[in-house]
Amino acid sequence: MMQLKSQSSREYRGERLEALTVRQARFIDAIAARILPTTDTPGAIEAGAVFYIDRAVAGPYLHLLSRYARGLRALDKHAKRQFGAAFEKLSGEQQDSALGDLESGRIAELDDGEAFFELLRTHVLEGVFGELSYGGNKDMIGWKLVGFPGQQWGYPETYINKAIDLPPVTWEGLPKKPGQS
Amino acid sequence: MKGSIADVCIVGVGAVGGILAKQLTSAGLKVVAFERGPALKTAEYAQRDSISYIARPDQLEGVRHEPRIFRTSATQPGNLRYETSPFNVLGGSMLLWTGQASRFMPGDFKVYSNEVAGGLADRAGVDLRGYDVVDWPIGYDDLEPYYERFEWEFGVAGVAGMNPFAGPRRKPYPLPPLKMTARMQLFGEAAKRLGYHPFIGPAAVTSEPYRPPAPYDTRIPERPACVYCGHCNHYGCHVNAKASTLHTAIPVALQTGNLELRTNCKVASITTDDKGIATGVKYFDPSGVLQEQSARVVILSAFVFEHVRLLLLSKGDGKRFKNGLANSSGLVGKCFFGHGDMRVYGLFDNFIINGFIGSGAAAMRIDDFNGNNFDHTGLGFIRGGTVGCSGDGAPVSRMDIVPPDVRSWGKEFKEYFMRYYTRTFDIHMAPETLPRRDNCIDLDPRRRDRWGLPLPRVTFAFHENEKRMHLFLADIGERIFREAGADKVWTELPRPAPTRQCGGTRMGSDPNTSVVNGYCQSHDVPNLFIVGSSVFPTMSGYPATATISALAYRTAEYIERQRDWFH
Repeated sequence: MMQLKSQSSREYRGERLEALTVRQARFIDAIAARILPTTDTPGAIEAGAVFYIDRAVAGPYLHLLSRYARGLRALDKHAKRQFGAAFEKLSGEQQDSALGDLESGRIAELDDGEAFFELLRTHVLEGVFGELSYGGNKDMIGWKLVGFPGQQWGYPETYINKAIDLPPVTWEGLPKKPGQS
Repeated sequence: MKGSIADVCIVGVGAVGGILAKQLTSAGLKVVAFERGPALKTAEYAQRDSISYIARPDQLEGVRHEPRIFRTSATQPGNLRYETSPFNVLGGSMLLWTGQASRFMPGDFKVYSNEVAGGLADRAGVDLRGYDVVDWPIGYDDLEPYYERFEWEFGVAGVAGMNPFAGPRRKPYPLPPLKMTARMQLFGEAAKRLGYHPFIGPAAVTSEPYRPPAPYDTRIPERPACVYCGHCNHYGCHVNAKASTLHTAIPVALQTGNLELRTNCKVASITTDDKGIATGVKYFDPSGVLQEQSARVVILSAFVFEHVRLLLLSKGDGKRFKNGLANSSGLVGKCFFGHGDMRVYGLFDNFIINGFIGSGAAAMRIDDFNGNNFDHTGLGFIRGGTVGCSGDGAPVSRMDIVPPDVRSWGKEFKEYFMRYYTRTFDIHMAPETLPRRDNCIDLDPRRRDRWGLPLPRVTFAFHENEKRMHLFLADIGERIFREAGADKVWTELPRPAPTRQCGGTRMGSDPNTSVVNGYCQSHDVPNLFIVGSSVFPTMSGYPATATISALAYRTAEYIERQRDWFH
C-alpha cells in the first residue's frame, strides 16, 4: 500500500520497475537495442531485457545499481562530448561508436569501462536468452531466435543433423514437475 | 547421539561422504555426518535453470556462503571466486556434475617411476625444476575392485574394451552406452580417420532404468533412464538418471538406523587430546551456535579447500599443532593442482549439431594423448590429457562462445548466434597439471565467511610443462575439427585457474613428504582420515569422481577392519 504513490512514476512499457528509474530503463533499452538489435526478427527490446536487468538489480545484485548509475552517467557524458547529444538521441552508428569506446576502456570518467561494458552485454543477453521467470525473454523470443526448444522434459531422439520440430517450453509450462510421477 | 561418543564423524556428505556413510553404517558403526548445507528436494535443485546455475552460481545456496580467493602469485590480494564445485548441499557436487566416470590409468599412479626415474622426462627434454613429482603409494590394481563397485552401485554406462589405453577390468560396465549424439558422431568418425582410437566415455548416467544386482548393494533404489534433456553439466538432474549419493548411498545409510545426519551444520575444527589423537569436531549448528561432537574416528570428506582449511584451523592446544593438524610434513595446502579448462570450438555450416540435446557425459573421447600413451620425445613436456567432444548447453552458456573474427555484440553477433547456436560444439581437453609446492592453498589473512572463519586462498599458476601441453592438445583438437569438416575452428586456452581441483593433503608412504598414507589415514593422527581428490599426489587426464569414490570404498573397508578402535 505504501508503494502505491510511486507506482505511476515507475511505470515503464506497461511494467512496474522495481529498481531502475524510467530514465535509466530508457537508457538501458537504447543500449540493449545495439547489443542485440531488432532486425527482421525481434531483439533485446522485444525480449524485455531491461526488465531482467531491473529485477536483477532490485534483488540479488542490488550492489550493482550504483554501478549502473555511474556507468550510464559516464556513457551519457561521453556521448554528449563526442557527438553533442544524449546517447538516446544519437544515430545507431554513433551509439555503436560510443559503446565501442566503453568496450575498449576509452571513457575517461570510468576506470572500469571494459568491465562495465561486459556487464551490460552479459546482462542484456541473459535478459534475452534466460528463463522467463527472471523478467526477460518475453514469449521465449530469445529461444525462438536461436532454435532452442527450452526446458524440455527430454527428447525422444538426439536429432543428428536434423532441425528440431518442437515448440519451446518453459519449466512452468511443463506438464509435470520433478518428484511427481 | 548428542553428548555421546560417535564411532565415526564424517565431515561433508557428497560423493565420498555418502559412500563412507553407507559402508560404515552398514558395518554397524554409529556415524554422525555433518553437511554444511541443506538437504534439497529434487524440485529444489533440478529446475534446469540457466540463470541460476550458469549465470549466477554466486547466488546458489550451496555456493554463496563460501567463495575462495584465487591469485596467480603471492604478491597479489586475489579475487573471490564462486564455483559450483564443491556444491555445499547434501549429495554435494555430484548433484551438478556431468557424470564422467572414467577410472584413472595404471600409469597415472606411477608418474615418478615412469616419467622421472624411467627417463620419459629426459627424452621429452623437459625441465622439471620446481615440480614435486612422486608416485602414489597405491596402484591401479589396489583400486580395481573398488572402481568396479562404484560402477555397479552408481550405474555406469559404457563399452568395456573400446579404449585400448584403459587399465584391465574384471567386469564390464553394468549399462550399455547412452545414445549417440551429433557431436559424438562427428568427433568419433574424424578421430578414427586420423588414426586415433575413439571410444565412448563411461558415464554415470543411466541409459536404462537401473538397480544394482547382487553381489553389489541391492538396497540401492532403482533410478529411471536418462531422458536426454541436455541439462547435465552444472545442473541438477530432474529424473535422477545422473548418479549422485543423494539417491543411492545416502538413503541406504539412513535406512540402517546407524546414521545421524546433521545438515546445515558447519564443522569449524577438529578437536584433539593431549596425546594428539582426534577426539571429535567443533561445529556451528543451524542457528550458528558452536557445539561439540565426540568421535572415535574423524573423516574429512569435504573437498580440497575445506580439508586444508580445517586442518590449518585445528591447532589443538596451540603448541603441538601450531602449523595445523596432520601437518608435521608442512605439506598441508601444498601441491594443489587441477585440470586446465581448455576447449577448441568448431562451427559447421552444413551440419546441425543440436548440442543442447543429449547427456553431458555421453562423449566420444580419445586417450591417444593422455598420460604416457604417446611418444613425448622432444615435445618439451610430459603427461597429457583425455580429449573428447562436449558442448552441451542452453543459450546462456553458449553466448560467450564467439569466433575471434566476429564482434561479440550487435547485428553481427545476432546473425552469428541465430545461425550457429545449433551448429557448434566443443572439443574439451583435460590437461593434467604436475604438482608444485608453490601452487598452494592457505588461509586468507583478511576475508572471512559467514561463520567468521578465514576463507581459503589459492595461489596458482600454470608453468612450462602445462603451457606446452596446452598448446599441443589444442593442435590435436583443431586437427580433429578440421578432419570433421568444421568451417571455422578456434581455441580457448585455460584461464590461470585450474578446474577439478586436487591436492593439498597428498598421500605417500613417507610421513616427511606426505600427509596421509595409502588408506587416506593421517600419518600424524591415526584416527583422522582425509578422503577425496585432496590426497592425489599427481593427477590424471581424467576427472576424479570414480577414483575418489573407489578410495572411499577402500578407506571404509580399512576402517571397518579396525574393530579394536570401536570396542
